[in-house]
Amino acid sequence: MSGDEKSGKPGKAGKSGKTKKPRPSKEARPTKEATPLAKKPAAAVTAPTTKRSGAVSASQVRADLPPDVPSAADSLAAAKAFLIGAPAKKSAPKKPPRAAAPKMATPKTIEVAEDPESDELDRMETIPVPRVEKTPEVDSAAPTPLIPRDAPSGERIADEIRALEERLDRMIDEASQRHLPTADVPPTPPPPSYSPPSIPPPAASSRAVDGAGETVFDTARELLSTDFYLRKWGRMGMRNRSEEVDDFGFDPVYEHKVRGAFNFLYEKYFRVECEGIDKIPAEGRCLLVSNHSGTLPFDGIMLKTAVKREHPKQRDVRWLAEDFIFHFPFLGAFSNRVGAVRACQENAERLLRQEALVAVFPEGVKGIGKLWKQRYQLQRFGRGGFIKLCLRTQTPIVPVAVVGAEETNPLLFRVEVLSKVLGLPYLPVTPTFPALGLLGLAPAPTKWRILFGDVITLDGYGAEAADDEILVGRLAERVRATIQAMLDRAVGERRSVWFG
Amino acid sequence: MASTSKKLAEAHKRQEVVAVTGAASFLGANLIGLLEEDDRAGRIVAVDIKAPLTAGKKTRTYEVDFTQPTTEARLAEILVAERATTVVHLAFLSSPSHASAWAHELESVGTRHVLVAARHAQVRKLVMWSQTLLYGADPSNPNFISERQPLRAAPGESYFRDKIEAEQEAEKFGQRAQGSIVTILRTAPILGPTVHNYVTRYLSQKLVPTMMGFDPLLQFVHEIDAIAAFKLAVDRDLPGTYNIVGDGVLPLSTVIKLAGRIAVPIPHPLAESLCAMGWIAQLAEAPPAFLKYLRFLCVADGAKARDKMGFRAAYTTREALIDFTSAQRLRDVKLLQETPA
Repeated sequence: MSGDEKSGKPGKAGKSGKTKKPRPSKEARPTKEATPLAKKPAAAVTAPTTKRSGAVSASQVRADLPPDVPSAADSLAAAKAFLIGAPAKKSAPKKPPRAAAPKMATPKTIEVAEDPESDELDRMETIPVPRVEKTPEVDSAAPTPLIPRDAPSGERIADEIRALEERLDRMIDEASQRHLPTADVPPTPPPPSYSPPSIPPPAASSRAVDGAGETVFDTARELLSTDFYLRKWGRMGMRNRSEEVDDFGFDPVYEHKVRGAFNFLYEKYFRVECEGIDKIPAEGRCLLVSNHSGTLPFDGIMLKTAVKREHPKQRDVRWLAEDFIFHFPFLGAFSNRVGAVRACQENAERLLRQEALVAVFPEGVKGIGKLWKQRYQLQRFGRGGFIKLCLRTQTPIVPVAVVGAEETNPLLFRVEVLSKVLGLPYLPVTPTFPALGLLGLAPAPTKWRILFGDVITLDGYGAEAADDEILVGRLAERVRATIQAMLDRAVGERRSVWFG
Repeated sequence: MASTSKKLAEAHKRQEVVAVTGAASFLGANLIGLLEEDDRAGRIVAVDIKAPLTAGKKTRTYEVDFTQPTTEARLAEILVAERATTVVHLAFLSSPSHASAWAHELESVGTRHVLVAARHAQVRKLVMWSQTLLYGADPSNPNFISERQPLRAAPGESYFRDKIEAEQEAEKFGQRAQGSIVTILRTAPILGPTVHNYVTRYLSQKLVPTMMGFDPLLQFVHEIDAIAAFKLAVDRDLPGTYNIVGDGVLPLSTVIKLAGRIAVPIPHPLAESLCAMGWIAQLAEAPPAFLKYLRFLCVADGAKARDKMGFRAAYTTREALIDFTSAQRLRDVKLLQETPA
């Protein structure tokens, strides 16, 4: 009876990794088959019902789904099998499909190792071996005892059968418990610093589902799930090599190359002083909110360099840059490789959900387009987008004041006539530009100070507070006032623009 | 046993009849090959101007030219006669065409034909191919475009306009035809060892033109993953629009280096006029509207397909590229051996 029932189902065995269905683990246990098998071992050859029973595994129990429920893994497997020319799984009713040998023939690494196993299974169908010993739950350490072919007494056999059944039950339970949680998630999460959530490590993949291949997969998982393997050769690890960038285009290798230039600007040119860098939390998401100034925005790069150099954890700052720099050749690509990201809600939210340290300049283009007479007066903070962002993602804010950047390229006039043609928000007129040509855009070597204020947490408000425009406006104003106060204090303390 | 056989019988009764338009195309032929081996699909109706090579016992092929005015009636007749339950609409051009009027008939008008026929035959499900290309490359795009963003690809280019129109038609169909499921899969540019499209041709040139000073992030999906996504949409009921993309992104410069080609940076104003002339002279791969994709971002977010659809790409962008490249290298070497110097 149950042979057909069983054989009808395991055609779906491969899917259990992805479908989350309640699985009745009690009914499908192979206890019934074990009895006739042990009594008449020779008869096992002819009965197709029993010959599979030994190989019935936890996966089969889990695969106890109606046969017409399609699944993701199923289609994927079929797709792959088809494309590499291997026969796809069939769930034909008559022919008992291979229950134990997973036919997930993927063109990738380890899964291939199963095929000899399945061939072996085919051959073994003709050999009168009690199949119980083939039980694949290998990780319970001791091998299952063989049933002697010429058993002397019925009682002993019965005892052994009972013992075997118990053992099998236990193993199935263990296996299903072990598999269920791991089935959907990669065994070890990728290191947290690179945290796009989706990608399983290539080799120790979650397809290690079925019984017969268990040993192979256990070994693979054991070997390949150590953090070192993942860091070095996992999909995330590959991004530390030169050919891959992170999701937002940051290229750590390229950044390392140009860091020398940043360090020169930081140490020698602007002689940046940092205050209160330890206000930035050592880990977890955080939003740096800063004033924006200088006709050419060097403050993003300097802020990034400051945190990289001075912060105990050397965190990478991803700063949000205005759209217009991405219009430009070289400038856009360069900023993107060293960590700038286009300023928009989607990007910021995604970065913060990856627990990144993000810097925003809520003044935006109005900040860098401040005239000389408006220096160190914070402009309107957009529409409070950064507050909404923090409310939605529960992110703490660290206010930042950058002093000294206003004087690098003091802006005298804005010419807005030609701006459309050039794709610029305005054409700046400084004491040196355009009089000295492009050279006039070189920043003046002023003395900079970067101040970090106390953390502002918005935990008291829920995520739904982001829709409350009045509250958002008030909070934005509060942050703005904090930064303005820091600026006023630092500018007041300053005795010289050039020497601090 | 009894319960099992009943279940199986039910499954047989409920077997789907899948009609595939554009059956001889890359996606169509491979999807038919998959469905041939799947018992859930009882019959396959292949509609194209030529028979797919993968057609087997279950497939019945109909030669229908979508650019003919009689298409609508003919298609409705076929779908009704075959009692089709699912229509997979893949009759789209995978590369831009010079024959823009013909392309318009095929894509925009052809989709309308398919939709009218589908409504006539009361098809339960419609799966349609679209591309993430239609979001358009723009510096104001977020780094990962979600399905909610409007399609902003340059409407002046007919390759984009026809496809955007087709998608709008399909959405309207989904709103009007209550109870039927409309799934739109927007694939990233497809790469792989066997697929041919304008991207593979772009990357198989010895000298690859790029825009000077621009290095956008690119995203690909492996052909296997793209086909698997369509299979998934046929198997399950997944109303909505999904981005089908590979994980990760690569800068264009890295893509060209990995493909073993040489990048030729051209200032973009010059490149645009060169490309426009090249396109007219049938020397360029694509019209100048495509140059924007060499300057700005157009990367889609695959989160919805992962969460709602259960689709996970087996190949990352990088792996898809490498798979394509290795096949391409072999092709290059063989070509060199065959042609006497």
